[in-house]
Amino acid sequence: MAAAGGLRRAGWRLWRGRAVLRCQLSPPQRALRTSAVLRRVSEEQKEPLASSSQQQFDSHPTDPRPEQEPQGPRPSYTGQGGQESEDYESEEQLQHRILTAALEFVPEHGWTAEAIAEGAKTLGLSVAAAGMFHSDGSELVLHFVSQCNTKLSELLEQEQKQVQLGEAEKKPTEQFLRDAVEARLRMLIPYIEKWPQALSILLLPHNIPASLNLLTSMIDDIWHYAGDQSTDFNWYTRRAVLTGVYNTTELVMMQDSSPDFEDTWRFLENRVADAVNMGNTANQVQSTGEAVVQGLMGAAVTIRNLAGLNQRR
Amino acid sequence: AAALCPCRAVLARRGGALRALCGSVRGLAAGPEAHFGFQNVTEAERREKIYQVFENVAKKYDVMNDSMTLGIHRVWKDILVHKMNPSPGTLLLDVAGGTGDIAFRFINYVRSIRERQLQRKLKHHQNLSWQEIFESYQADKSKSLGDSQVVVCDINKEMLKVGKQKAQHLGYSEGLSWVLGDAEELPFDDDKFDVYTIAFGIRNVTRIDLALQEAYRVLKPGGRFLCLEFSHVSNPLLSRLYDLYSFQVIPVLGEVIAGDWKSYQYLVESIRRFPPQEELKAMIEDAGFFKVDYQNLNSGIVAIHSGFKL
Repeated sequence: MAAAGGLRRAGWRLWRGRAVLRCQLSPPQRALRTSAVLRRVSEEQKEPLASSSQQQFDSHPTDPRPEQEPQGPRPSYTGQGGQESEDYESEEQLQHRILTAALEFVPEHGWTAEAIAEGAKTLGLSVAAAGMFHSDGSELVLHFVSQCNTKLSELLEQEQKQVQLGEAEKKPTEQFLRDAVEARLRMLIPYIEKWPQALSILLLPHNIPASLNLLTSMIDDIWHYAGDQSTDFNWYTRRAVLTGVYNTTELVMMQDSSPDFEDTWRFLENRVADAVNMGNTANQVQSTGEAVVQGLMGAAVTIRNLAGLNQRR
Repeated sequence: AAALCPCRAVLARRGGALRALCGSVRGLAAGPEAHFGFQNVTEAERREKIYQVFENVAKKYDVMNDSMTLGIHRVWKDILVHKMNPSPGTLLLDVAGGTGDIAFRFINYVRSIRERQLQRKLKHHQNLSWQEIFESYQADKSKSLGDSQVVVCDINKEMLKVGKQKAQHLGYSEGLSWVLGDAEELPFDDDKFDVYTIAFGIRNVTRIDLALQEAYRVLKPGGRFLCLEFSHVSNPLLSRLYDLYSFQVIPVLGEVIAGDWKSYQYLVESIRRFPPQEELKAMIEDAGFFKVDYQNLNSGIVAIHSGFKL
């Protein structure tokens, strides 16, 4: 037992020495050891014998990391330490993993540091890891919102692909907006009880820039997939209108107790219909306005004729 | 100058004196140079001197702390525990925690969090039967700390003695243990603790890098390292006032209250010799910690360094 511990420590130090060498090649980036710790844990499960340092070295580069999601561009981590640093995750990725794990504890603990601590525990980390985040749970909420937005984008992209391939019909704008907002709001359903708390966190002054950013980019996304290509003032009015629809529907959803939130979807339907009609009404107002003006002009000319002022013989 | 032999170096702030007990392991007999205040001594000498300092100061330690910092050290320690934000079930190792200040604050904090948790649970129990509520009361009452524990480790027996007496006096018994140990070689297994704190103690450690490595070793993955220590003031005006106060007032207070000028002279000198914020941050990173950051309190008079074992 002690020998295994000693060996492990020796191997640990050797490995760290190696990591230090790597660091000298690519100074600013340091690999996270949790990944190594987690990997060692899985190694130990596979091979219950004492892991010698040699074993660690060998299984290093080839051990697949089951937790690694397909991360997109990670430019800063594939430096000169190339292969080495790809095996490890960055601090941000670990933080994302902790936050994702923490989400399942939100219904019980709310959007708080406690939920984050529980999440860290499930990943095998100490509860003190929650100290990496703000103590008011802001990062958890922002992470969740950003995750939902990403899911929505993927959903809309898939639908668009289907339409392009001809497998589905292109929806009319009204229907499209309704479905998009409904899909996005449905993602809140598992957390609906604690969502008011999340909203209040999003409105804290130091969170407003981030939350506003997320909101506007989501609305932008929806309009983009709805086929909006306006380049005039319409761009702003469309987004403002949809933001209004989204926010009000969200608030209605907080207080909705009907089965499967039927009342909310009906509310949404009405609001979207209003929004679209508003567009039509605007056009009507304009053309009516023009018609009225023309009528007045005609009346003025007629009166001039009658009064004999229009002498042009 | 020669009278430094029975030197009572007073590190008014934090204990964590160096071992004179198990000195042989790092066995650097007459070798490496170390500093003792503005003097240069060998490592072994330094350890010996610092041990004696705290041996002599132990009884007056808290009084001196209050008088020198005008009570502000309590606020610093409160901020440290608040920053830690421990949840019930946390295992804390307080190194150089001699008289137990951090440990007691930790216990208070965890207790209040636990109470709030229980209250919240009760609110949810609105529609349970009386029997069920009664049973839940029984279960929760037994764990007012919720499995949290704090281990106070110090190299100096006298400091620990004072700490134990204080604990008894203030009524802290549950979840508290006292261990004699050296920060450079902790008597604990690997991956044991959630949080490791060292408040005003790391300045007195002879080999800081060893202490940091030990901290790394005993922390669980995801564990947090917190260090509260005097640091460097960058504001020039404040720095001058601070120097004035340190070198003119503090040794005098030491003589008047504890009867020990030289120790407090050592204290202020050792603060000047301690590495500044950025350097300490680099040392912590070298030990393997991630997300290392520091927070200046009182514009640099004191700094809290924090790192995670990831």
